Amino acid sequence: MKGDCCIRISNLSKKYPGNDSFALKEMNLDIFNGEIFGLLGPNGAGKTTFFSIICGLLQASSGNAEIAGYSISKNLESIKKIIGVVPQDIALYPTLSGRDNLLFIGRMYGLKGKVLKERVQECLSKFGFDKNSDKPVKNYSGGMKRRINLIGGILHEPSILLLDEPIVGMDVQTRTSMMEHLKELNVNKKMTILYTSHYLEQAELFCDRVAIMDQGKILCLGSPLELIRQENGTDLEDVFLKFTGRKIRD
Amino acid sequence: MHRLISTLIKEVKLLIVDKTGITVLFVMPVLLVFIMTLIQHEAYKSLSQSGIPVLLVNNDNDSLGLAIENGFKKFGICDLTVDDGTKYRSSDDIKKRIVEGEFLAALVIPKNSTNVLRENVAEMVNVFFDQKSTVIKEPQQVKVEIIIDPTANKSFVMGINSGLKELISSIKTKILFQIMGEKIAQLLESDSKAVLPESDFFVYEEAYAVRDLKKTYQPSAVQHNIPAWAIFSIFFIVLPLGGSIIYERSEGMFIRLRTFPGNYLSILSGKLFVYFLVAIVQFVVIILLGKYVMPLLGLSVLDIGTHWLALTALTMMLSLAAVSYGLLIGTLFNTPQQSAVFGGISILIMSALGGIWVPVNIMPPVMQTISSLSPLNWALTGYYELFIKGGDWYAIQYQVLKLGLFFVFSIVISYRLYKLKTRIN
Repeated sequence: MKGDCCIRISNLSKKYPGNDSFALKEMNLDIFNGEIFGLLGPNGAGKTTFFSIICGLLQASSGNAEIAGYSISKNLESIKKIIGVVPQDIALYPTLSGRDNLLFIGRMYGLKGKVLKERVQECLSKFGFDKNSDKPVKNYSGGMKRRINLIGGILHEPSILLLDEPIVGMDVQTRTSMMEHLKELNVNKKMTILYTSHYLEQAELFCDRVAIMDQGKILCLGSPLELIRQENGTDLEDVFLKFTGRKIRD
Repeated sequence: MHRLISTLIKEVKLLIVDKTGITVLFVMPVLLVFIMTLIQHEAYKSLSQSGIPVLLVNNDNDSLGLAIENGFKKFGICDLTVDDGTKYRSSDDIKKRIVEGEFLAALVIPKNSTNVLRENVAEMVNVFFDQKSTVIKEPQQVKVEIIIDPTANKSFVMGINSGLKELISSIKTKILFQIMGEKIAQLLESDSKAVLPESDFFVYEEAYAVRDLKKTYQPSAVQHNIPAWAIFSIFFIVLPLGGSIIYERSEGMFIRLRTFPGNYLSILSGKLFVYFLVAIVQFVVIILLGKYVMPLLGLSVLDIGTHWLALTALTMMLSLAAVSYGLLIGTLFNTPQQSAVFGGISILIMSALGGIWVPVNIMPPVMQTISSLSPLNWALTGYYELFIKGGDWYAIQYQVLKLGLFFVFSIVISYRLYKLKTRIN
């Protein structure tokens, strides 16, 4: 454990109106300050439902979630100020340039004037946008869009970063590069990172701890090495398949 | 405030890079107003000046024929071509010319019409004065032919008909007086002959009723069409605004917008404010077009009255009403296609009902009642008060109030719909 509890999930359940089954069922989880936490699971496991609840986009049916001591149901505004969110879909205006998108996002987080411009430039340079930052986002490659999408979540230097499938659809190099950037943020800025994914290789390399979930429940929790050892596997994929099964489901 | 300014900057940037949007918002309205005013100007001109080609075949060449010829020239409701029966001999020949589009209508005065008229009147006078018989024999009839292009405007045809009847009636009276005068002189054995005055006993003066009694008004296409089509264009802001709201809501950006600190509605307010400013700019551009560009094309200068505050209040409320309707459409529908089709057609219906296409006063009573429910009608009534009738704030206050209520209604319904659609439970 790296520090104090940063995100505390207590008996969190979610049942969508008109659905018999639970999307999340009595989920309990503690995520600690300064760790990179991967929430892994197959499609339909409940990862995005969980992500939406802790971002305040969806209300839980029962239970509670606390972020930095603030309750999601009571102090959402305080939580919004300290988190950074990177949605699964590209959350950018395609006709605006990458720089203009970031300037808008930065302003919405209260950054102003010179500080804003310098921060945007710093992030653009760090993520390899020295040349293309003033071109419209619609002309960017998929990887470039993902990188700008990520910068949008970290521009205001949040203490907690929430990412929903941030590396989906990326090639291996871009995936690895993105995860290295996240690791750097975690180390240099002491940023707590929670991300959902079904890419196990990256999770095994970069996460301090992972939880594998399916059908709304956490099936196992621990560091990748611990879990691999516990289940006598060779990698996280073995652990994943053991807990979630090998059959394709809808 | 910082968030509002941030959204304003973003929306302005989005508009600037959207060439199609700029075209829809500024170029198309200007073109629409320009074309509609020019078309209507031609219509006004042809009814009020000498625009419509009409043929008068004057086979009579006597008092009646000359009275009709001079009368129509004086009326000035058409571009009159006069023939004495040498060029256009038969009705079929004339019909052929009309079908080919050379003339829109033709009047054929038969030979000896004046003589026949005199004989008929003399017969009546003789019976009256001689008192030998009370039976007046059946008069000889003069068949005046009116040949019309079937596509001719009905009001124009009515104008030609009533003009013709008025002129015939006038010359008939004149001949009656002449013959009666002659008869009386004969009875009195007097040689003196009274000369009848050329002018009529009645003088007709046309004046338009306006609130400002010092103001004289002349109907013009500019004065009627500029406000009407400006309102229509401003309401078309619904299409880009509705589309933009739906696009933002359906893309990933919506998640980011909702996770920013503060309320999403404040971000939406920024968007609405930008489109509100766009509507104001649209109106100003169209007014400038009417004041400075239309006169260069021979049209009259747009007179916007002197009540600036009332005009500002009305324009601001019209813009707010249009923007709130865009918000409602954008909230109600889920795809830009749905919003474009519904938004576009609903504006066409509201504009037709509102008197943009045809004046409300020529609509059937039921439609006139329905018309009073259209926000475009409220705005148009307000602008006609200010631009045409010389009205002030008091004359438009109810129109402004109704537009304001429409704005509040649209905002409230949109808010409820938004809450329903983004319910987080």
